[in-house]
Amino acid sequence: MAQTTSRAVRIRRGMTLPLLLLVLWEVSNRTGLVDPRFLPSLESVALTAKRELLGNDLIFDLLSSLARNLGGFLVGAVLGIAFATVLAMSPLAGRLVMPTFNGFKQISLLAWIPLISVWFGFGEQAKIVFVALACFIPVVLNTYDGMREAPKDLLEVGQALQFNARQRFLRIYLPSATPAIATGIHLGLIYSWLATVGAEYFLAVGPGIGGLVIAGRERFDMAMVMVGVVILGLVGFSLNRLAAVLESHLLRWRPPRTA
Amino acid sequence: MAVLTASEPEATRSAATPWRNRAVDALIALLLPAALLLLWWTASDRGWLAEQILPHPIYVYQTLRDMIASGDLFYHIGVSLQRVLIGFCIGAGFGLVLGIAMGLSERVEDYVKPLFLAFAQIPTLGWIPLLMLLVGIGETLKIIVITKGALVPMTLNTFAGIRNVSPRYLEVARALRFSRWQTLRLVILPASIPFVFTGIRYGLTHAWTSLVGVELLASSEGLGYLLVWGRQMFWLDTVIIAMLAIGLIGFIMDGGLNRTERLIQRWKRNDI
Amino acid sequence: MTFSTILRTAAGAAFGFALSLQRTLAADPLVIHVGYEAIGVDNRPFAEGTSAATARAGEFLEKEFANDPNIKIEWTFFKGAGPAVNEGFANDQLDFAYQGDLPSLIGRATGLKTKYLLASGARKPSYLAVAKDFGIKKIEDLKGRKVALQRGTNSHLSAIKILEAHGLKERDVQVVNLDSAATVAALTSKDIDAAFGDTQLINLAAKGSADIIYTTKGDDPRFGRNAGIIAREAFIEKNPEITQRVVDAFVKAAQWSSDEANRAAQFELWGKSGTPIPILEEYFSKDTLAYRNSPLIDDLLVSQYKEQAIKSKEFGLIRRDVDLNRWFEPKYLNRALERLKLKSFWQPYGADGKPTAS
Repeated sequence: MAQTTSRAVRIRRGMTLPLLLLVLWEVSNRTGLVDPRFLPSLESVALTAKRELLGNDLIFDLLSSLARNLGGFLVGAVLGIAFATVLAMSPLAGRLVMPTFNGFKQISLLAWIPLISVWFGFGEQAKIVFVALACFIPVVLNTYDGMREAPKDLLEVGQALQFNARQRFLRIYLPSATPAIATGIHLGLIYSWLATVGAEYFLAVGPGIGGLVIAGRERFDMAMVMVGVVILGLVGFSLNRLAAVLESHLLRWRPPRTA
Repeated sequence: MAVLTASEPEATRSAATPWRNRAVDALIALLLPAALLLLWWTASDRGWLAEQILPHPIYVYQTLRDMIASGDLFYHIGVSLQRVLIGFCIGAGFGLVLGIAMGLSERVEDYVKPLFLAFAQIPTLGWIPLLMLLVGIGETLKIIVITKGALVPMTLNTFAGIRNVSPRYLEVARALRFSRWQTLRLVILPASIPFVFTGIRYGLTHAWTSLVGVELLASSEGLGYLLVWGRQMFWLDTVIIAMLAIGLIGFIMDGGLNRTERLIQRWKRNDI
Repeated sequence: MTFSTILRTAAGAAFGFALSLQRTLAADPLVIHVGYEAIGVDNRPFAEGTSAATARAGEFLEKEFANDPNIKIEWTFFKGAGPAVNEGFANDQLDFAYQGDLPSLIGRATGLKTKYLLASGARKPSYLAVAKDFGIKKIEDLKGRKVALQRGTNSHLSAIKILEAHGLKERDVQVVNLDSAATVAALTSKDIDAAFGDTQLINLAAKGSADIIYTTKGDDPRFGRNAGIIAREAFIEKNPEITQRVVDAFVKAAQWSSDEANRAAQFELWGKSGTPIPILEEYFSKDTLAYRNSPLIDDLLVSQYKEQAIKSKEFGLIRRDVDLNRWFEPKYLNRALERLKLKSFWQPYGADGKPTAS
């Protein structure tokens, strides 16, 4: 569909509702229309953000969450690609394992919390395992599918040239599956952030943004919860953007996928 | 928003495979679960596997039988399903309307989409503590959280579906001098049905995941609660049963929708 | 190689990948991991109300090993309370822990290899608080109401016993599973009708946010809660001397905690957990410190645990019989009492709840 409206107009329109909401928020707060316990003033949210940032360890919480997220993500992504590669390159292994894997993936991620907690205890490793699991699943699914769709003619060429497994992997499977792997990693990055929040909610207490939000709720400190929730959103957004940039960077040598 | 629109890969094996091949496939597929079960069994029997790490399969089976006999399991499943159903219907309904509105009118899209996307960025789990402060920990909380889970993918997919209607169809509609309503009813909506269906599928999956999250955090019944209960009482057999129930229901929902989706797509292809 | 070690090795590898914030690689000295089945207000790493909490805040263990640079004490406080302590034991992540009766019995029933070394916080009362203006005046009124408790903790068992004594079953109330901090939030916002607990509820009542309508204090002592210092069997077997010194330190803490001269100082120390001092005063009013902080494994304690085990099975909290006879290991306690010349410092009680002459 052709764009008929100018960019400026679109931005103005996009800003309208959020600004309106903010004004409504502030007005209803100033006039005492709502209980400040449920809707604290913008000012107190800003002050809470400042307090957490300067007085408490907001930065440390954020870094802890990010480290956890990144650690789990790396483990999950690397293991996921390796696992999927083995399955995709050996047809029998794929037929043997994939149905079971497809069954396992149906178990909601959060349902793993009790077992992971019992198996790995209260340390950091339980959280990282959980995040890794979250990332592992989409990476495996996408990598596997990408590799299974490696062009038949290329595989035949590989056979004619008597490629060994390593050559087949590096020259045929990996290049043809790169877009799918990128998609998997993108999804993995998003899921690992969800899982980081989940781990901080449901596993042992530790520094982290998820813990901050829970603590805010327990203290009935709406401002603190809001600060935490906004950070959760911002990090999620940034990770998403980062993944998109990475994806296009990785795939820059390819013609656009959709014509 | 790749998470919501990028379609998860599906088994690509064609449906035309003769049944004998399929039987062989199924047999092969069952090998691993059988082997795992055998390993689990032996490991528990021989004491390689401490009970507090994984209880004996027989024990899990007994608990399952007890829970079925006492009606507990179906009670919790029923509670969870009811919540998901209500939340999903509300979320999907709103999502459909919002998606259509944004899809049809660029103006609506410009006004609503940025705010909507900003809200969607925040993971459902993040919303729960905030909502707990606002509406408490009762049934309302659960419904809202599930609604949100279903709303986002439904809206985005419906929107994408309407925007992806081929311009050629619209030209035909114009040539036939269809009214706006006719265009919508006869051209745009039918053409976007596959997308809407993808939205329903993701919406339901998200609703189900959100349900587990909210039940873990605050509830006194449901499958998520069963998980917490098992965890706190150190009843890993109960935990495993709850996990299996969650997985099985997820599997049935996903499988059923998947099949319907494929049917619709085939019907659409034949139609054209 | 058991499954758990495989899992742990895998996790260890994963751990190596991750940019760990908490640990730096150093030559590993012996770290004694001590767990505590509670956590302070706003997740402060302190607790209150027990001699174990005194040992923590007064650094009794750290002082005991002050001259052994190779031995370190690491405390972990659990928001997930007793059930989370069991998870720690299952992973060999804990060597000692302060844990309540029900969770330790559950752990025992599930096959955790632990020993009960000495009592601590074994005579804690329970409280029942109700949301204001909900018209709940007595325990019987709880029928059909939303009642918060943390499942699998000793408070849970205590609550069931209290309900039972008033003609109610657990199923007669709508149990909402919440931890201590979440209970406070939910009761303040009236999301729940009532809650079982202790100091956090006294504090709420003092602030006027809830009413306490019942306490086990002064009522049948069997409604109360027991707890003690539990240790991992493998650790004891491997380090009997260190175990002895840990027990010595806990007994010293119990002695200090039992001395009425330290009452004010002790509440001050426990204040590190964030619980206000007047609340602690109320919590200990009418009780002698020696009664509440006795480390003795006397007939009363043993019979209480046996009864708890029977009750837990009856209530369906434990699904197997628990053998308690070899669980209690008073050897280290007795040696400590001898060494510290405290053999007659605490009054032992008989199974009937009356002082015994010994």
